[in-house]
Amino acid sequence: MTSKPIPLATALFTVSTGAGEPIYRQLVEQIRRLVAGGQLAAGDELPSVREVASALAINPMTVSKAYSLLEAAGLLERRRGVGMAVAAQHTRAQAKSERIELLRPSLERAAAEAAQLEIDSAAAVQLFDRILKGKK
Amino acid sequence: MSAPLLQMKDVFKHVPGKYALNGLDFSIPSGQVVGLLGRNGAGKTTLLECALGLRDIERGEIRLFGETPAQMTDANRARIGYVPQQTDLFEWLSVPQMLAFFKAFYPRWNDAKVDALTQRWSIPLTVPIGRLSVGEKQRLAIIRALAHDPEFLILDEPVASLDPAGRRDFLRELVERTIERETTVVFSTHILSDLERVAADVAFMREGKIILRQPLDVLEEQTRRLVGPATALPIGMFGEELARKVDTSGVANILARLSEPERILASSLAAQGVRNEAVGLEDLFIEATQ
Repeated sequence: MTSKPIPLATALFTVSTGAGEPIYRQLVEQIRRLVAGGQLAAGDELPSVREVASALAINPMTVSKAYSLLEAAGLLERRRGVGMAVAAQHTRAQAKSERIELLRPSLERAAAEAAQLEIDSAAAVQLFDRILKGKK
Repeated sequence: MSAPLLQMKDVFKHVPGKYALNGLDFSIPSGQVVGLLGRNGAGKTTLLECALGLRDIERGEIRLFGETPAQMTDANRARIGYVPQQTDLFEWLSVPQMLAFFKAFYPRWNDAKVDALTQRWSIPLTVPIGRLSVGEKQRLAIIRALAHDPEFLILDEPVASLDPAGRRDFLRELVERTIERETTVVFSTHILSDLERVAADVAFMREGKIILRQPLDVLEEQTRRLVGPATALPIGMFGEELARKVDTSGVANILARLSEPERILASSLAAQGVRNEAVGLEDLFIEATQ
């Protein structure tokens, strides 16, 4: 059993509407990223379905669906009487080579937008670099 | 699967000049949250009012808790909570007077909940209801509808006059209710972001009929916008095309619901310069209800 406090739903998740991405999928991706990045480690508990649903004002079935999919994928495990926790095999953060793949969808979108704006790769990369370094 | 809580079959309702319900089929299984969408005049309010037995129908069959709405027993009536689009609350009474009046009709009344909500939503208690703002009246209508812990909530644009914070608070209340009591909910709204948060199923209405009924997740996953050379996107390529526009330079912009194999086909079109994008509920609404 972990003694680490369970993080607040609002600290873990953000939900955006209007983009056509189902909310359960947003939650799945966010948990994947948090586990991949090591912010959530093996044994760490997740807030209950009820807490997440109520904190984010979303349908509880949506949260259950996200948790169940991640359980089926082996990323989470159901603990008797406790709820969901990060599965044991995820003791360490994933290798950087695997983590960076999770960035791919966002970057592919950004690349498509850069092409529409006719911005060349050097300028786009430079901007990304500045953003990463926290500059304006 | 248990029997649906509400079942409407081939329902016709005539209003001056047209059929507001025109052979409508609609049902709501127990425990589900269903969002009802449609443009103004599509028949949403008529549907909800007929389901409740507030209006007679010309033809068809309606069963609510297994009974016809017109002959519903008081016991079943007490299982329903209703927030009408226009609140016709007792304008000369104060809030506590009005709530006491309604309390007398119900075997069950959750005083703790009523007190907590009137306080949280800052409902003025001493002035006549007629002096409340539109938003306060709407909140009060919601409190009244929730007070007897109904199993089935029928909400006709319940949040149209609330600000975003008020809407979020209301959604949270709704979510907690569906968790605690497995409340079944049908609500009509034009605020699609709210619907996206809480609805499991969406039903699109047009000209008195339900034209599309799907789990929201499925709908969002299946619907894609494809933009590319019209030659790469011939008509009939996809089974269910919702919209198609082709501009003068020969670029087609189509909205389609794709089956699994069609999705694979669509992503393979990238090589021919076809962009494949997710579609927000708003775009979907505009195309589906046209």
